[in-house]
Amino acid sequence: MKVFNDAATRVQCDSITRWKKEGKPVVGYTCSYTPAEIFYAADILPVRLRGIETDGMEVGDTYFGPFICSFPKCILQLAGKGKFSFLDGAIITPGCDGMRRLDECWRKAGEDFDGIVPDYFYYFDVPHKSENHGMAWYIEEVKELIKSVEKHFNVSITNEKLTAAIKAFNKGRRLLNEIENLRSKDEIVVSGTDVFAATIAGTVMPRDEYTKELKKWVTALKKRKTSLSKNKHRVMLVGSISDEIDLFELIEDTNKAIIAGENLCFGIRYEGNEIKEDGDPIEALADHYLGTSVCPRMYGKYKERLAMLKERIERSQAAGVIMQNIRFCDLHGAENALFERDLEAIGIPCLRVEREYGPHIDAGRMKLRINAFLERIDAKNDHKLSEAVAVSA
Amino acid sequence: MNIVAGCDVGSLTSKAVIMKNGKIIGSHIIKSKPRPKDSADAALDGALAAAGVSKEDIKYCIGTGYGREKIEFVNEVVSEIKCHGKGARWMLPTAETVIDIGGQDCKVMKIDKSGNVGRFSANDKCASGTGRFLEVMANVLNIGIDELGKLSAKAKEPITLASTCTVWAQADVIKYINSGVSIEDIGAGINAAMSGRVAILVNSVKPEGDIFMTGGVAKNIGVVETLEKLIGRRIKRARKADPQIAGAIGAALLSAEKVNGNGRKVK
Repeated sequence: MKVFNDAATRVQCDSITRWKKEGKPVVGYTCSYTPAEIFYAADILPVRLRGIETDGMEVGDTYFGPFICSFPKCILQLAGKGKFSFLDGAIITPGCDGMRRLDECWRKAGEDFDGIVPDYFYYFDVPHKSENHGMAWYIEEVKELIKSVEKHFNVSITNEKLTAAIKAFNKGRRLLNEIENLRSKDEIVVSGTDVFAATIAGTVMPRDEYTKELKKWVTALKKRKTSLSKNKHRVMLVGSISDEIDLFELIEDTNKAIIAGENLCFGIRYEGNEIKEDGDPIEALADHYLGTSVCPRMYGKYKERLAMLKERIERSQAAGVIMQNIRFCDLHGAENALFERDLEAIGIPCLRVEREYGPHIDAGRMKLRINAFLERIDAKNDHKLSEAVAVSA
Repeated sequence: MNIVAGCDVGSLTSKAVIMKNGKIIGSHIIKSKPRPKDSADAALDGALAAAGVSKEDIKYCIGTGYGREKIEFVNEVVSEIKCHGKGARWMLPTAETVIDIGGQDCKVMKIDKSGNVGRFSANDKCASGTGRFLEVMANVLNIGIDELGKLSAKAKEPITLASTCTVWAQADVIKYINSGVSIEDIGAGINAAMSGRVAILVNSVKPEGDIFMTGGVAKNIGVVETLEKLIGRRIKRARKADPQIAGAIGAALLSAEKVNGNGRKVK
């Protein structure tokens, strides 16, 4: 767990430093739509870009407008402060409009801050629909990305290497799914904070090292007997992008709740799904990364998103759903309101909160709302109990 | 003697209530001190003096408010959202929607017949729509916060504040003062701006049944009346107690439930 915590809480964790010492390249990417397997196949370390360790916003605020989510601003802030100096390349995707603007804002900031734009800086376009034309477009984009990586880094990414990469990643995906199975049991033996840290670690650590560590950890988890969920409410955490362990800790430190599941783009949502290991590897990657993605940036997928959330609520036996959205995150702000409407209608308590991204920001306000929400679930359970007593009497 | 207490340490004021057999026998409001612990001690001491009982007589005490974690004498802490729901229902037994405007935030909640909170929403944006907004504006006008509410009734042409940002609105108010606009028109504009922010939150929760308002701002008649117009619903009044101490009342009522074993388990 130590190695996961290091990877989850430090922008340049020990694993990245060790990789760099071997003289091998590192490429950062911004969104869950980027197939990390491509980089693994080229012996490049893919690292998901994060905004933790930000202690100011003077660079981020200079190049972004004021009405933009603070997550891409934090990435730019870190870039401006040289925290991403270990990157040999960066891939920017239009996960949302704020993230798309990171492309031009980072380039512009690079004119004022020497050396903050990596030598390889690539805009990877992702369509908003996965059907027909959208899928064909995405496959083309993946092929273009492969060509570009091959040319810049002077590597060869063959179909065989891609298939081997898919197989290597699937090992970790299966293990994460095992954790989800463990969490679906009546007694949970692992905190949501630890699971999230382990999941984030998978987005920054060298994959083989990660899989090895994850296997050890899952084996140990299976032997655990002590329940951490006794007398606690099982809750789900969903909404805007988050890679903040602090947010999970804030909820679990109340000692009244355990996070039994999440639906976050840094989380197990996609990482827990396997990719087809036979057939054309590029199509398999596209099927997974675009085809199974139902985050709110995808058009016309609300029903699928709601169905997935309901399935995850059921699987995790969650008694309530905490929905957070980063200020100015239109995608999740609107989506959370719809989720709240539809889940409350079927009796699932929901808490909708808007917040800033960044460690410890809004901690007091968040805590108050979370405590009140857990008390609401308390009262609901007491009501059920008193009804049951009345019936039995 | 079943004497219980509730202590609500807010960002602007701290309140304590002592109850005996469901009735308030003492309460006290103070301006919050820098340290929540000192605020709680002073509020409780005042309430004890008013009730004529000693700390040792209190069977159970619940703390609430933003400083709740730092109160030393309480048996447990509960969120102010829950406490205001409970206190509101006690003050107005038909209340189903509660608007609580505190010093640094504003919450709207739906409650059931026991005062338990169902869906709720809280302001997430900034200080506008909170008691702090009114306090800042009253300071600029050089009047007491209690006087601000009465200005709306005397206004002829209330000003419109261009920004809901507290700091910018303050600059706007200074501009109106300098250009000779009457204090009544400025005050009415401030109350209307406040109501406008709160109305957004109220509408987002879709109020049902009787609406009741708690927190210090409930005493600002200018805000309450403008808010009624904006949401198109009457906000019920209750004379049973000061709405500013609703949170502390709720905490005391929850304490009483613990003592009486009223269906709730003692953790």
